Amino acid sequence: MSALACDPGSFRDPGGRVYSDGARIFRTVNQPNAEAYQTARDSGLLARLAERDLLLGSEERDRKLIGAAGKSAVHLLEHPRIPFISYPYEWSASLLRKAALHHLDTQLEALERGFTLSDATAFNVQFVGPKPVFIDHLSFRPYRDGEIWAGHRQFCMQFLNPLILWSRLGIAPNHWYRGSQEGIAPEDLTPMMRLKDRFSLTILTHVIAQAALQRRSVRSGTVAAGKHRTARLPKASFEGMLHGLKSFIAGTAPKREATVWGDYAGNNSYGGTEAEAKRAFVQDMAAAVKPALMFDLGCNSGDYSIAALDAGAGYVVGFDFDFGALETALERAEQGKHNFLPLWLDAANPSPSQGWGQAERKGLKERSSADALVALAFIHHIAIGRNVPLDMVVDWIMAMAPQGVIEFPPKSDPMVQCLLSQREDIFPDYTEEAFRAAVKRRGRIVAEKHLTPGGRLLVRYERS
Amino acid sequence: MHTRTARLTSIFLIFATMEAPAFAYLDGATGSIILQAAIGLFASWAVYYRAFRERARGFFARIGGKAPANTDGQ
Repeated sequence: MSALACDPGSFRDPGGRVYSDGARIFRTVNQPNAEAYQTARDSGLLARLAERDLLLGSEERDRKLIGAAGKSAVHLLEHPRIPFISYPYEWSASLLRKAALHHLDTQLEALERGFTLSDATAFNVQFVGPKPVFIDHLSFRPYRDGEIWAGHRQFCMQFLNPLILWSRLGIAPNHWYRGSQEGIAPEDLTPMMRLKDRFSLTILTHVIAQAALQRRSVRSGTVAAGKHRTARLPKASFEGMLHGLKSFIAGTAPKREATVWGDYAGNNSYGGTEAEAKRAFVQDMAAAVKPALMFDLGCNSGDYSIAALDAGAGYVVGFDFDFGALETALERAEQGKHNFLPLWLDAANPSPSQGWGQAERKGLKERSSADALVALAFIHHIAIGRNVPLDMVVDWIMAMAPQGVIEFPPKSDPMVQCLLSQREDIFPDYTEEAFRAAVKRRGRIVAEKHLTPGGRLLVRYERS
Repeated sequence: MHTRTARLTSIFLIFATMEAPAFAYLDGATGSIILQAAIGLFASWAVYYRAFRERARGFFARIGGKAPANTDGQ
């Protein structure tokens, strides 16, 4: 086994840590969580949740397998590897909604079997393709009759409130969420709620009432320590609250106003023949490289991600800036049951490494383990739309994966002209020759093709 | 339906106009705990109320010599 590293994001629960040797994923179960884990395991809860695809699978292994790291562990689990770890601030509205419903389903199933979840962090839900899965086996503990929902406020902050912001006000919460990883507090959301929002029982209770009570308790110096430990919530009310939230969240559709690229697949500057040629070029690369993990930068509605999967790619993570396009891509991934996960990304400002020690949540670069990538109709948005010199854009793209396909639209292309139409052309270095030279400085050009004479150029590269 | 409207109106009247800026940070979950305790109390009260209502209906039905009507109408 190669060197084992502890995941820097798994420290919050003293009951266990996650380790990886780069290929396999292990989790230690330490005191004080060992007993709760054993009870959940022996009751059949963990197996049942895994059977229902609610919980990531696990196998118990010999603790010696991980050497010194396993010494203080009571149990050692091995989990299947999630192809790409994503964070809630990289999810579209539909992904966040799916994750929220998944969390509630997991909590309800646990409750039915006499268990509860110790928290409600959205970071415990991950996606495998478009399917959510709960990943923390140490969050389950026996339910004590009448106890309150420990994760209520966290659920509101990390799931409910961002979804309300999205569905009620049409505001994508991603930027805010990225800056505030604990989520959006009811006290912060309340002033944004309009009179008509206050007529929703869910908003009134879980946002406005909670915020008011929070403020009052802070003002009066009421601290939870001791005073509210005796608070009781009957199980039927707990279940009722979970079902109520489920029903509200299931009905939160993001405002589907026309987005820039929402209909790009049917509204672009090239015709069907060009699209077909582009698809064939991407499929040639996917068939030759057979990437286990491929990135699609500027995936739009996922046309070429799905084409690459059809040709031999194992799993594709698509990135796009446009939420409308991401919703369409997700629908296609679900309908076709593709190993395709479309995520939100502002390529000019990707997710950074952040959280505790600036290592708790990894940046995009730290998670970039793709075997190949495609960057189609992408480069001009960064080079011209965001003023990043062409050489730097090529450098960034090629650093993401050792092989791939990059499309270069020339200045004469209508989409590039559209970007230039309301600004001065300060991009003398944005040329095909400069693009080719930039690729060659970092690797070799394996194949290239013009979609039309003098038009868009496709380049397949192999990094040195 | 009436119960839901009444409940909604009561909560609305209590909380819709509450506004008290407070920026101190004492305990992140206190508001949630109090809210859940209130929901718990409300649920207990509702159970008590329903039981009382059934007993009262039974009592009046016995006085009037009629069987209690089906009250499962909410």
